[in-house]
Amino acid sequence: MGGRPATREERLIAVGLWALAFIAFLLVERAVGFVRDEGIYFTAAESYAGWFRRLFTQPMTALKDAAIVGAWDVNHEHPALMKELFGLSHLLFHQTLGWLRPATAFRLPALAMAALVPALTFLLGSAVFGRAAGLFAALSFLLVPRHLFNAELACFDMPVAAMWLLVVYTFWRAMESRRWGLVCGVAFGLAICTKHNALFLPFVLVPFALWRAWQESKAVPAARDGAWRFVGLFAAVTVLYLLLFVALGPAGFQRKFILLSPHTLLFVGLAVGTFWVLRELYRVHEPTARALLPVATMAVLGPILFYLHWPYLWHHPVERVAWYLTFHARHDHYAWFYLGDLMRSPPFPLGYVVMKTALTVPTSLFVPMVLGWLTVVGRALLSLPPRTREWVRRPSITELLVGVNAVASIAIISHPRVPHFGGVKHWLPSMPFLGILAGMAVVSGCAALVEQLRARRPTLPFAAVAVPVFALLMAPALLGLVRVWPYGTAFYSELAGGVPGAASLGMQRQFWSSHVTGVLPWINEHAKPHARVYLHEVTGYSFQHYQDNGMLRRDLQAAWSPSDADIVAYQYHQEFREHELNVWQAFGTRTPATGLYLDETPQIVVYQRP
Amino acid sequence: MRSPRSFLQALPLIGLGVFVLVALLCLLFYARLPGRLPSAADYGAVSERLKAEQRPGDVVLLFPWWTERARLYLPPEVPVVGYFGSDRDNLTAHPRIWVLGQPQLPGTGEEGFRKAFLPGRTTVGQPFQAGNLTLTLYTNGRYRPHRFVASEAYARARVYVESPDGTRRPCPFDGRAHRCQGPSHLYVAPEWHELYYEPRRCLWMHPPGGPDRLVVELDGVPSGMGLRLEGGITFENTFNRSHLSNIHMGVDDAKSGERLLDVVVPQGVPGVQKAERSLPPGEPRTVKIWSQATNPELRHLCLDVVALGAPGEGA
Repeated sequence: MGGRPATREERLIAVGLWALAFIAFLLVERAVGFVRDEGIYFTAAESYAGWFRRLFTQPMTALKDAAIVGAWDVNHEHPALMKELFGLSHLLFHQTLGWLRPATAFRLPALAMAALVPALTFLLGSAVFGRAAGLFAALSFLLVPRHLFNAELACFDMPVAAMWLLVVYTFWRAMESRRWGLVCGVAFGLAICTKHNALFLPFVLVPFALWRAWQESKAVPAARDGAWRFVGLFAAVTVLYLLLFVALGPAGFQRKFILLSPHTLLFVGLAVGTFWVLRELYRVHEPTARALLPVATMAVLGPILFYLHWPYLWHHPVERVAWYLTFHARHDHYAWFYLGDLMRSPPFPLGYVVMKTALTVPTSLFVPMVLGWLTVVGRALLSLPPRTREWVRRPSITELLVGVNAVASIAIISHPRVPHFGGVKHWLPSMPFLGILAGMAVVSGCAALVEQLRARRPTLPFAAVAVPVFALLMAPALLGLVRVWPYGTAFYSELAGGVPGAASLGMQRQFWSSHVTGVLPWINEHAKPHARVYLHEVTGYSFQHYQDNGMLRRDLQAAWSPSDADIVAYQYHQEFREHELNVWQAFGTRTPATGLYLDETPQIVVYQRP
Repeated sequence: MRSPRSFLQALPLIGLGVFVLVALLCLLFYARLPGRLPSAADYGAVSERLKAEQRPGDVVLLFPWWTERARLYLPPEVPVVGYFGSDRDNLTAHPRIWVLGQPQLPGTGEEGFRKAFLPGRTTVGQPFQAGNLTLTLYTNGRYRPHRFVASEAYARARVYVESPDGTRRPCPFDGRAHRCQGPSHLYVAPEWHELYYEPRRCLWMHPPGGPDRLVVELDGVPSGMGLRLEGGITFENTFNRSHLSNIHMGVDDAKSGERLLDVVVPQGVPGVQKAERSLPPGEPRTVKIWSQATNPELRHLCLDVVALGAPGEGA
């Protein structure tokens, strides 16, 4: 595995893809409703931005823990990087310049981050499998309806997919450049500041780094010794931390983790020791050192950046990080309808993530993803036994890096005890890599066809085959996207029979309340002045944001149950059927006034008090 | 015979063929989809047909079960049934069933529907076709005339909390519900509730907790026919509450004290629990419908008691 710099042309295409994606996201953003999480993220972002203002006007007060907690306590179950960007963007583009409506200003940083995905996908795909494969991967990523939907949100799922990709890309580039080794550490730090998914990255990347170091140091005993020292240092620090944990117990370990403590000393020792070992290793054998540098920078820069980016941690880092990790380790399970089974608690089916992916990625893109991944795995397996070794080209470590990342997030979420709500958003980091493998599979097919055709027409350009094939494979995805937009979580692929087929299969079609935008125009038109409106599952924050963004009449009042309401917009969920019956009970009617129905499937059902 | 190596070399081309074929099939899917959906005019035509031909007691059953858009258009006086599992619903209260079907939709599983629905049902006349909507009338061989329904007679009931020693604390009727002393959920009234996805209008009878029973006493329950007790824990209240006790519900003869029906609603088991027995011929009875559970938390019980005629009687 050796990274390679992008060519000038590749860089230009990547920038073009970023711009194309960003503009596309911006153009269609208004149609997407505010998902439940956005309501609280907008509020948190405003609170954090307010603290930044205070930092300039009253720095000494702002830095006190009470002031920090006052501003940063809201939504402290997630790191703050994206919310800081949302808040500052809102401050600049809405409050100061007045260029954007509030929601668009909040979402802008997320759109910019999401636009990194096609750009980075192209760069990595192009470097590993060629430009055409990279382009296929980048463009097809945007056409998956659920990807585009998630790309529009001021949330963390698409940004962390971008950061995951960035870390892998920088990790791969670090194989050829010391500078990229440092960048990899910074990227990892920013990734864990984005969402906790990134905490799994070292488990995916470190084996590759060690393998690479092992390979590089094969012929240089001094380098091998240095690599062992590096590994020994990390192992020793890990063992010492474990000993501390066992000796002090979980509570004692946490309580005694202060600035001047063995815990801190160990971390400083690790940082200094790593620096010293790597410096020696660079002197002896640079390729081995380069292989290990990203591990060191991730281990050292990651925690430092994580601490620095989040003022909430500044006065009580250990206690608050422990709370954050515990929150996610013990996250609630929400009801989720899957193949006719309303799953409420673990164990969840092992095949859930794979099945859900198969049913939500347009089939003409999913099949190449599967074949691309199987090609790499098949080549890896066939290259093991001596009898079959000659049949195939052994996959490079870079190809394996792509192959492993293509399934890493999928494998993590597939664990039967991991929460399974949230549709596909939790394993989005796998999707760009699957897209690259799809690009590889499609381009190999095109190349094989071109080779055949060139027997008759030697001057036939590759594009003459690739362009129509790409267009043909992407056309169904585009049709599906147009058909379901902007109700992204409702999309199901042709394999599922589309949205109606998925309804018959018994699949969840929404979970985040954003489809309510489909009935807001009707409510605005038909609600009496000052009517009380119960938007089921829509948070109070979102109700306010719909009004602030001109999507819901200002005079309408939020109601919190059917019995208090004049109009109810019920979100059709299998687990919430009782809630619709409460409307029947309160309004004395079973006949809706209107609704949002996608290809016949009920999404939002509106009742008006007779 | 081709060698494995040559097969592997041909794989990219085979793969491309598969991709192109799949993409063409996907395009075909999207080309056909709009033509498989009904229009508002189709629903309007079905509604007109129903208005013209409906009889009291008729019901509309949706196929597939989730095609609830029909509710927007159908005459409000005809009940529309469509819930996850409604294909198997006996619809015993309805002598005739209008099946509003959309078999053209992708993945409807019509065979499964027919297997669950058809036994005991006979088609009447020809199906009415409006675009992609098919309206078919069936006589319901599973129909059983409802001679008495507790949830419909609730207003004339005597409701009280009864201790094991026979002491009664009355729950006076306020015009809508019989309200008992104590927590606000201690009342009896007919309400819409979900029992394992099925919408049911049933009597809310949250037991008071401990050995006491919540009792609904009703006169005029006919004899000489089946007496059925049906009920269950509503909504999601069966889940993740394994520490709670089971609920007991039953029907006693008020005069003799004989236990006519007794059903345990086990904690953690969703859906309708039921029991039925034949009452010997005789004078109409006064019955005591009751609920009881040791612990008083979250016993969201909804039940009904029905006196049923023989299958097919009066169909």
